[in-house]
This record gives sequence, C-alpha cells and structure tokens, in this order.
Amino acid sequence: MSSDAAFLLVEGVSKSFGSTQALRDVSLHVDKGSVLGLAGENGAGKSTLIKILCGVHRPEAGRVLLDGRPHAPRDPAEAERAGVSVFHQEIPICPDLSIAANVFLGPRMPRRGPFPDWRVMEARCVELYATLLGEEIDPRRLIRSCTTAEKQLALLVRVLSRDARLVVLDEPTTALTPPEVERLFSIIRRLRGQGITFLFVSHMLEELMQLSDRIVVLRDGSRVGELVRDQFDVRKLSSLIAGRTLAEVGRREASAGTEARLEVRSLSLPGVFQDISFRVQRGEVLGLAGLQGSGRSAVVRSLFGAPPAASGEIRVEGVPVVVRRPGDAVAAGIGYVPEDRKTLGLFEELDVKLNICMAGLSGLSRRGWLVPGRLRALASRMRDDLRIKAASVDAPIRGLSGGNQQKVVISRWLALRPRILLLNEPTRGVDVGAKREIVELLGGLAAEGCSIVVSSSELEELLQLSSRVLVMNRGRIAAELSGTAATKDRIILEATT
Amino acid sequence: MDLVMLRGKRWAAVRQVFALRDVGVLVAALLIAGFFSLISPSFLTAYNLFNILRQTAELGIIAMAMTILIVTGEFDLSVGAIYAVTGVVAGVLAGRHDANIWLAALVGMVAAVLLGLLNAVLIATTRINSFIATLSTMMVFRGAAMVLSQGQPISFPLSFFMDLFGRAELGGVLPVPVLWFAGWGVLSYLLLHRTTLGVRMFATGGNREAAELAGIRTDRVKGIAFLYTALASGLAALISLSFLKTVTPTQGTGLELEAIAAAVIGGTAMSGGVGSILGTFVGTFIMAEVRTGLVLLGTDAYVQDAFVGLVIALAVIINVRLSMRRR
Repeated sequence: MSSDAAFLLVEGVSKSFGSTQALRDVSLHVDKGSVLGLAGENGAGKSTLIKILCGVHRPEAGRVLLDGRPHAPRDPAEAERAGVSVFHQEIPICPDLSIAANVFLGPRMPRRGPFPDWRVMEARCVELYATLLGEEIDPRRLIRSCTTAEKQLALLVRVLSRDARLVVLDEPTTALTPPEVERLFSIIRRLRGQGITFLFVSHMLEELMQLSDRIVVLRDGSRVGELVRDQFDVRKLSSLIAGRTLAEVGRREASAGTEARLEVRSLSLPGVFQDISFRVQRGEVLGLAGLQGSGRSAVVRSLFGAPPAASGEIRVEGVPVVVRRPGDAVAAGIGYVPEDRKTLGLFEELDVKLNICMAGLSGLSRRGWLVPGRLRALASRMRDDLRIKAASVDAPIRGLSGGNQQKVVISRWLALRPRILLLNEPTRGVDVGAKREIVELLGGLAAEGCSIVVSSSELEELLQLSSRVLVMNRGRIAAELSGTAATKDRIILEATT
Repeated sequence: MDLVMLRGKRWAAVRQVFALRDVGVLVAALLIAGFFSLISPSFLTAYNLFNILRQTAELGIIAMAMTILIVTGEFDLSVGAIYAVTGVVAGVLAGRHDANIWLAALVGMVAAVLLGLLNAVLIATTRINSFIATLSTMMVFRGAAMVLSQGQPISFPLSFFMDLFGRAELGGVLPVPVLWFAGWGVLSYLLLHRTTLGVRMFATGGNREAAELAGIRTDRVKGIAFLYTALASGLAALISLSFLKTVTPTQGTGLELEAIAAAVIGGTAMSGGVGSILGTFVGTFIMAEVRTGLVLLGTDAYVQDAFVGLVIALAVIINVRLSMRRR
C-alpha cells in the first residue's frame, strides 16, 4: 500500500517544550485497517505525538491529515468527533455505573423523556459487544467488578460506538495477564478486519512485533527507522530504539562481603505483596522488576514505612528495625527516592537549598534555629557533586529541569550519607543525558559502600545498574536472576507468566 | 564602565526588592494610607496610627498565628470561640468568685491551649477536613462560653494586670496592646521564618506527602500550629478583657473570618505552603486603616463591612496575578 492512500498521514511534525525538542520533523503514515506499532524509550516522543493526534498539544511545524483532510483538533473532544480515540493506561470510566451506562455515557445517551432508557442501552450494548468484539456480556454488571481487561473492552466498545476510526492504544497491555493480552490482540485483529485503524504504542517488543503491520521507531524526538512485518527482528528493533549503546557502566558484580546490610524476612501486606524475603550486601545494587501492580514499588515503600508492611521483619546490619513511618527508616540510615518527583518529592514553593536539606534539617540547625550558612554550604556541595544545574541554591526549585529536580531529590538523601538508599523509578521523566548521569551516580554510590534497592520499569537501566534482579509477579517474588541469567527476555517472561 | 556596572547592580537590588512577596501588600497599605490622609488631615497622625494598631492588636495576634496554621495546610474557625472561652473562664474566676486575676488569667490560657489541643487531636486522629472539624468545635466552644457565663457579661475590678495587658500607655502615646502585638509578631516571625520547625511547616502545607516521605511528622507539625493559634486567641482575650474590664460570651464572633481575611490579604495561600508574618501584619493593618479611614470620612458603619469585603477581593486578585507572574 502506498502512502497517498494513508488513513493517517503525519508530515514533518515538530514540537518543543521550553528547551527540549520533543518531536523533530517526524513523518509517518498508517494505512486504513492496519496496525502501526510505535516504539521508543521513555521520552522518545511517543506521548507527544499521541497528544498532538488527540488535541492536547499543537505542533509547531508540519501537518496531520486524517482520511485526506487536515486534522488539527483543539481539544480531545474535537479529536474524538473527528474519529480519533486514545486509550490510556488509566481508564477513564465510572466504576459505580454499569457497563452499558459507561458505554453510552455522554450527551447522546439514549433516553425516554428526561430519563435514561436502560432497556435500549442494554440491548444495544449486547449487540455492540457481539458484532464488534464477538463477545457475550452482561451489560448490567458494574464496572467496579470487572477486570482491567474487561474495563478496557468496555472503553473500546464505547469509542467504537461513537464511530472511532483511528484508535491509539497507549501501553494497553501493562496490566494484563498473557491470556488477556492474547484476547485483546485477537479482538484488535478482528476490528482491523472491519476497517478500524490502530496506532499501537508499547514497550514490549514481542507484543509490538506480534500485532503490528509496521513498526516506526522514535528516538530523542526523531524518527529513526521503520520496519515492515517481514523485517521484524528483536535485535534490529532494540538497537534502533536504544541507538548507540549507552556508555556501558557494565554490570556490577556483587561485592565479596557476606554480611547483609539489609535483610528482609517474609514481609507481607495483604492484597499487595506476600512473603517477600531478600538480602542486600554492603555496596550491592538490588534491582526489583515487575509489571505495574506487581507490588514491587509497594515493597520498596514498605521498607521506608510509607506505608509499612503488615508483617515480616526488616534487619539493618543484623539488627531488627521497626519501621512504622518514614522517620523510623531515616533514623535507621535508610533514604527513599519516590517514583513521582512532583507529587511525592518536591516542595515547589521552596528554593533549591531547602529542597536539598529537607530531610536533614535537625543536623543543619542550632537548637532548632536555622543556620542559613550551613544549609547553603551543604546545598552548594551537593550541587557541585551532582552537577545540578541551578543558577543559585537560593533559586526556586520550579525553574530547574526534570533531571535536575530529580538530582535534588536524590541529593536530599545523599546529604544524610545513608547506609541504604531505596529508589522507585529513579529516571522517570528525565532526559537521556540526566538519565545516564543518575545511573553513573548510583553506581558510584554503591562503589562507596551504600546498599541500593532500585525498583524500575525500565529494564535496560535496571540490568545495567543491578548485580541481582528480583522479578515480582502478582505480589510475590517470581525469580531471582543474576549474572548471565539476568536478561530482558527472562525478566519479561517471569514478570508476565 | 564602573558606572554601568553600578547601575546594573542598583537595578538588580531594586528588582530583588520587588520580587519579594510582601512588597505588593506594603505598597497597597501605603497607597491606602496616602489616599485617606489626603482626604482627612487627622488620618496621618501618631495618635491615629497608634489607635489603629491598638484596635487591631487582638485581630493581628490571631491572624499571625492563623497564618502559621494556614501555611501548614489547615485553618481554625474556632479561634473566636476560644477567645470567648478564655475571657469567660478568667471572668468567672476573677469577676464572680474573686479569684486572683493572675491565676484566673493563667487558667483561661490553659483552657485555650486545651481547646487547641482538642482541635489538633481531632484533626490528627480522624483526618477530617479542618473546615468541618473546627466549625463544629467553634459551636461547641461558643456554647461552653455561654453556659459558663450564663449568657451574661462579667466585669472585672481595675488592677495592675489590666494596665499591663491593655490599658497602660507608654509615654502617654504608645498603648500597651501595640507592644503585645509587636512582640507576638516578632515571635511569630522567628518561629515561621527562622526555625527548622518553620521550614517543616512550609513543607507540610506545600506538599504533605513529600513532607512525610522526608521524615517529617506532619500531624505533629499541624498540631503545634493549632496550639499556637489557640495560644494567640488566649492572649488576645487577655488583652481584650484588660482593655474593656469586661468579657461577654459572644465576644469574638466573626473574628475567625477576619483573621483568615487578614492573612489572605497579606498573601497567604489558602492551599497552604505560602505565607508570611510580615504580609499578614500589613494585611491586618490594611483592614484596620480602611475601617478607620471610612470612620474619619463619616461613612455609615454598614458600608464599612462591604468596603472591607471589596478590599479582600481586590487583594486576592492582585496576589493571584503576582504569583502567576512569578512562575
């Protein structure tokens, strides 16, 4: 098929936010009734492209054609009217309404007089499920009682009932089990046969190759390659995504010491994780892998008491430690870098130095009085050590880039010289350069003897950093991998089966 | 060359001054003062200014404590009722049972702090929104003041205590409540802007979850702010009973909203994490000077409230504009 018959045509689209170029002259096309895979690391520009298609952002250059007509929606509602629907990880539905209500919710809900016409809705809902998905359902079930996969299908039926012609699937499989993924894929193939066009965004290369007709790869905002179905190859794809291999820090070997700095024994939090036990040596980096909702970030949080586990034992240097709240963990020499910098890490109204010094205020004061000189000295040292780009330590934290803000949050704990540092998604939302710096920084910390536990959804980074990786699956440790056994494929396998 | 650099530096200093949060309110206070002094010659006299400060001392003391509480992300509608309870407790003891006024005042202050503790514990343990929690304690406390006093005003005999807290005038010009106001202001300033507790207060109100994850006990920080606010209400009550030699169970009705208004005029953000004692001081002054100025102009008392309402709206609009420009 040639590009002039394309259903979606993106030509030379560019977009920048401040000094970051999110998209640079990106062109691609999707034929009607096909699935285009979109691959790239976090920050490669996939989300920006999606947001342009659904009207959240407007491109600075280039144009988008949908079915031959210019497509420049001003908001998501306009994009939806034009037939473009996006499917996010978080599913926007009302949990306490029925499937039928969720499918029809909106200004065009069938009604009789002022009342919703449930009979018509339920009948049409059953019919839609049968014709579109080939599935039978009970339209009266509450969404709350549905599985994630069923919720996704409800949303899919909803957008299709509103004449969606292009459906953007943004990481639709992160919370699904393999059989559910298989079911979703067969439904997508069926819909493709009915002429619906898909843009499929995923981190999972196997899934991309399984479902897509073509795959376009973005890196640092540029389109770096395209593969058609018979060229699909994991190696080729991953090298396109990664680009030149990162300055290999090299996999870390566990240090010779046998003494456990941190020991966790059968930690449990009902409904979240069960029976978690592991040891971390001095100077070792332990990686925690697993899908979203596998409990890996909750395990890390529980070590910091936010919230604590319901049962189990935590030992630091062999001494049992009761961690009920973050203060207890801090007292035991544990630091924690949370997954969401903005909502869990930063004090946006305060300046750089207070953001750096927040966890160690007592040590920087004299009988409760602030000593600005001490704060400034520590903050300046941290700024120099971590190469935080800030005009001054008295400058507001808001003016810093994401990567530099993340370094501030990390330096808050480094300032206390922790024995154990816990990190959740340490490089989320930072640019490639800052990402490399953070990885190197953590490596250096471990070399100095700090024990580190990292939970991350970015497997390359996790493998690069850790000497051992625990893979979590549905709240339990599914595997412990180290040395040559720790590969991406293996982790994905253990995390998803 | 030197001249250019000097000029650059000088401008930088000016820019720095204008970047300070409190400058906007200060300029507004001066403009309003200028306006009234043009119209009424008796406005800009030492007597009148001290009079304004004396009248507003009680409100100012509570408003500065309220600022600290709002900075931590909570607020307290029961301050007016605590103010009444303190006065009534002291009144029942000293006025009706002839107890020593010092002892009576001490018991009144203890009562105030206990009520503050009740607010703190209520909010820390149940995590109810402080609007609802202190709305209910406001009614309970006010009821307690009515019951204790049997709904009647209580008067006190004159004593040195009255002079110390409300009636003396230093050098014949400086009313003693102004000194209490200033002293409380300095204390509040030091607490909020010069101690680690102050930083923890800003952190707690700015981003509670992040503060918890930095090891800060946010419920304790908020609790301390509730106690401080109750203490301020108690002190204000002592000043009031000393100046008037009398207490009524209905005194301080509406004081809580005026205190919040003064804090907001001074640039305190209701969402928490932003505020300054100096700003609130000036905010209190603006409310008082508007009222006094209108009195000097011979305006109807009913119009004054409406005017103060306008000033609040105006101040908040300007503050929002300023803080958006800063971003």
